[in-house]
Order: sequence, then structure tokens, then C-alpha cells
Amino acid sequence: MAEMWQQEYWADKDGVKLFMFRKCLGAPQAGDAPRPVLFLVHGSSFSGPSGFDLHVPGKPDYSLMEKFAHYGFDVWTLDHEGYGRSDSTDGNSAIAEGVRDLAAGMAVVTRETGAATAAFYGSSSGALRAAAYADAHPDSVERLILDAFVWTGEGSPTLKERSKKIDQWTSSNRRAVDRAFFHSIFNRDMPGTSEDGVSDALADKELALCDAVPTGTYYDMCVNLPVCDPTKVPCPVLIIRGEHDGIATEEDLLAYFDALPNGDKQFVVIPGGAHVSFLGVNRARFWHVLHNFLTLPGRADSLGS
Amino acid sequence: MNQTQGDTAEIIAEEYWGKKGDVDLFIFRKRLAAPSDTPRPVLFLVHGSSFSARTSYDLEVPGHGEYSLMNVFARYGFDVWTMDHEGYGRSTHTDGYSYIADGVEDLKVAMPIMEEATGQTTCSFFGSSSGALRAGAFANACPERVAKLSMAAFVWTGKDSPTLKKRAERLDEWRATNRRPADEASYLGIFSRDVVGLTIPELPAAAAAAEMANGGGSVPNGTYIDMCANLPVVDPLKVACPVMIFRGDHDGIAADEDVLNFFSALPNKDKQLVMMSGQAHNTGIGINRHRFWHVLRAFLEMPVRLDNLEG
Repeated sequence: MAEMWQQEYWADKDGVKLFMFRKCLGAPQAGDAPRPVLFLVHGSSFSGPSGFDLHVPGKPDYSLMEKFAHYGFDVWTLDHEGYGRSDSTDGNSAIAEGVRDLAAGMAVVTRETGAATAAFYGSSSGALRAAAYADAHPDSVERLILDAFVWTGEGSPTLKERSKKIDQWTSSNRRAVDRAFFHSIFNRDMPGTSEDGVSDALADKELALCDAVPTGTYYDMCVNLPVCDPTKVPCPVLIIRGEHDGIATEEDLLAYFDALPNGDKQFVVIPGGAHVSFLGVNRARFWHVLHNFLTLPGRADSLGS
Repeated sequence: MNQTQGDTAEIIAEEYWGKKGDVDLFIFRKRLAAPSDTPRPVLFLVHGSSFSARTSYDLEVPGHGEYSLMNVFARYGFDVWTMDHEGYGRSTHTDGYSYIADGVEDLKVAMPIMEEATGQTTCSFFGSSSGALRAGAFANACPERVAKLSMAAFVWTGKDSPTLKKRAERLDEWRATNRRPADEASYLGIFSRDVVGLTIPELPAAAAAAEMANGGGSVPNGTYIDMCANLPVVDPLKVACPVMIFRGDHDGIAADEDVLNFFSALPNKDKQLVMMSGQAHNTGIGINRHRFWHVLRAFLEMPVRLDNLEG
């Protein structure tokens, strides 16, 4: 069986260097059949490989990148401006900047794989980045998966709480993160939806890279929603929602879902899931739903465009 | 995910009979002949208004590939059951109308037979069109029997349904007699009413031939009357189990909003709403049925929960 292969890359966004990371099963060889590209988009509080390629001591199967590499995908992620190993600037890395990051990253994907399109998965504000990217670059998004997504923010318990610190998000382009903060991400919705040790493993990895992250997505989520338009997303869409996720109400998400124009769309609630589905106790259910959406067979009729 | 057996794997077909008062109810079962180390999960398929069980779920269309949902899911490893409701197929054709409520009673009769044969007390239900209404109403009445509920071509209140608006124009006709003809012409109408091109041209004749072979030629009017005059017949708040709703993009039986409202009201947070392009009302026997199989299987084979929060 082929071994896990990984490679680092750098994308260039008008002089801002963005770190990219790729994993697939076996090194790509000239003449290989192209593997479907899955591009993972991180959220507000931890960088790409930290969240999507996490290894938790003594606990198996936390790397989403490796899981989908094993399924046959060519899996990419990127550290957005100001996160992880990417350059930090005076900017606050708001959603619109994230869209520009993804455009720079997609150019690298195309250069390395020949693929002009990819399936995009985003979690939390990563879902906002991915959805806004699909609005702006519909030709390069084959399928869109939005997890822990919020559209208007109406009635969101998490955003109501977060807005109390709006002065903090506006007064500085970065906010401090520490171990206690990483614990809070996994406990704020419902203790018991993640295993012990996960938040510490994530903190270990992320705090080795930085002690602060940009404030732009927090600001956008408190002040500027909606930042994406469902009527501009032409591709198939999957919305995944953890049962206990406080980032949005189900009503808000169903309104977005209802407005999506593509006839291929799925809305899946994961019971026993919270805000970070892919690092939760029930992540196998999350993989199952995501994998089945990505491998949905093609249409056989002649009516489809 | 269960291992899929090849097309040549032997499938056992068995017939059973249930008794609802004086009414004989035909029950049909398919599963792989090869023994299984573990009990095969039971999938019970509930037919709709216009086709009996085997026309709906065990259809043969020679030269056009697999049409039998029973065969497909038997190969996936399921123990697949279905039944002819009162007045349909090989079940007794009575003077009754075979309303949704009668369909619930039919399913109650089938359950002890399924339990005795399989040793299992619950099963996953799939229903299409008024079969989804029967299955949903059964889940309301007998939640202890329903492990999972999948509904395709479902309508809740009927508000803004193009198909039901049209159907209601003939409500007096449905009420005047308990049966209506079911033949090639009527099937052509069903397959083409939403859009042309999502079923093969040979399907109406194949369905009519199957229906005649199964004792058909006419079907009861009760579900048509219920869908025109008596909706809603399913209460989402009383559905306790995980639910998947499957909706074709061309299906005129319901408005999106009606289906979304039902989905939103479901109390179990293990729920999925799958909308699919290239699908009309008869998803199971359409050109893109393989896509429907994919999502139904994915729902039925969802890994178990590992948290301790399930209340």
C-alpha cells in the first residue's frame, strides 16, 4: 500500500507569502490518473495544518487530511494571511482577504496538479471564506462544503457572546490565544462532544507557531454578515451542522440552503456534534457524510447542463 | 460500509401473507442467499398510490439495467421487505379506499411477521410519495418499530403543490369510486407530468406489465383523496428516529418550503435533507436512480454515535 506523501508550498498574494500544505497517498507521478482535489479552509482561531492534520497522542484518526488522502483525494490546505506560517501584515485578515488568499492558493494547486477546479471544505469562518470564494470564483469550485457555517448571524448564541468584545476586535488587528482559549473552543457548546486531549494537542501545535491570531473574521462575523450570497453559488453544496453548534441557528442555515440555486444540495445535522465537527468524538460520522457527498455519482440523463 | 456483493450473487426471494381482519396482505422479502455472521439490517419499502410493491421496488426492465431497489439493497447486505397494501397487487382488493390510515394498519400486520422471520423488532423504513406518508404516519403510530425513516417524494401540508393542485380538480371523481385504472397510459402520465427525460421511454409499458402480472390493472383512491383533502397526515414532532428526506428537483408533489418546514420541525437532530438534481417524482425508477441509491445507502450506513450525550 502506498505511503502517505506530503509537500509544502508557498503561494504569493501580491508579495504576502502564504504557506500551503498537501497530503495524498503516494507521491504524485507523471501519467497518474488525476486525483480529485479537496481544499480545506481553516477558520478564525487556528491555522490549516494545525486543525486539519492534527495528531493526538494515543488517539487515532484525527488528521482529516490523511483520512481523505486514504479515500483517494489530493488534499490541500493553506494558512491564511496572519495565521500559522504565512506572513503577518498590518491587516486583520478579514473574510475578503481570505478570498484573495484562496485565489493565490488555487493558482498553486492548478500549477502542481493541472486541476482548474477543486472541492472546497470550510469550517466556521473558513466556511465563510469558502462560500465567499465560490461567489467570486464560481468556475474554480466544483463542490462546496460548509461546516459550522453562519449566514446572517440572526439569533446566533455564539456571535451574541462574541459581540460583547467588539471593541477588542476593532482596536487591534490581532487577538491573543492561549491554552485556555483552545479549551474553550471545544467546551463552549457542549462538553462531551470531543475527547480529552484534543484541545491540548491543538494548543501544542498552534502555540508553537503563534500566540495571537488576526481579528478580521471575528469582526466580520459580529458586524458584517452576511458576507456571502447563496444565489451566486452555482455548484452542488453540502451544509453540515453539529447538533450543539451555537454559531448559527438552524433557521438561518435553512434560509441560506433554500436560496441555493443548484438542484444538488444537502443539509445534514450531526447529532452529538458541536462547532468543530472534524475533531469531535463523532468525526467518523462527519467523514461519512463528507465522503458520500464528494463521491455522489454523476447524472446519467441528458437534461443536466 | 457493508461490502457490496456482485451482480451474480444469489438472492433469495420469499413470500409471506399477513391477515388484517378478512384482508389478506401480500408480503415479499429479498436477501442474499449467502449466510451472514451478523443479522442483516432490515429495510422495509413502502409503496405509493399507483404501483404495488414489486412494481415499485422489484421491477424488471429487460435490457435496461438494474431497476430493482430490492436487489440493489440486498446486495448491499440488507434484508429487504415490502408489502402490497390493501387493494393493491396481490393483496385482497376490497370495497375500501386504502387510505393512509389503512396503510398504517397494514404495516402493523407486517411487523410481527418480519420480527418472527428475522428476530429483529425494528427496521429502517423507506417510503416514496404516499408511501412516505404511510411510513411517516406509521413512525408516528409505532415509533418503537422504526429505527430510521427515509422519505422520498414527500409532501407535508400540500401547500403550493403543483401536482396536488391539479389532482384536486378531480377530487369528486376520486371520491365517487374506490378505484381508478392503472395502465400504461396512466403511468406515462405519472412519468412525464414533472418533466420529460428523467425516465426511459420503455418504463410505462414495463411498469404496466409488472402491475398486471401482480394482479393490478386498477388501484385504490384513498391516498389520492388524503393527499388532496386530508393533509397533513404526518406529525414531524412525533417522529422520534433519525430521518432522511429525499427530494427531486423536478418533483411537483410538494413545494420546497413545505418540505423544509417539515424538516425543521423534526425533533431528532440526526436528520438529513437531500435535494437532488435530475430527479422527478419517481426517483427509484428514474434514469438517475443510482444517485438515489447512493444517498439512501449513505444514510442507512451512517456510523454509530460514540458520544455519551444521546438522551
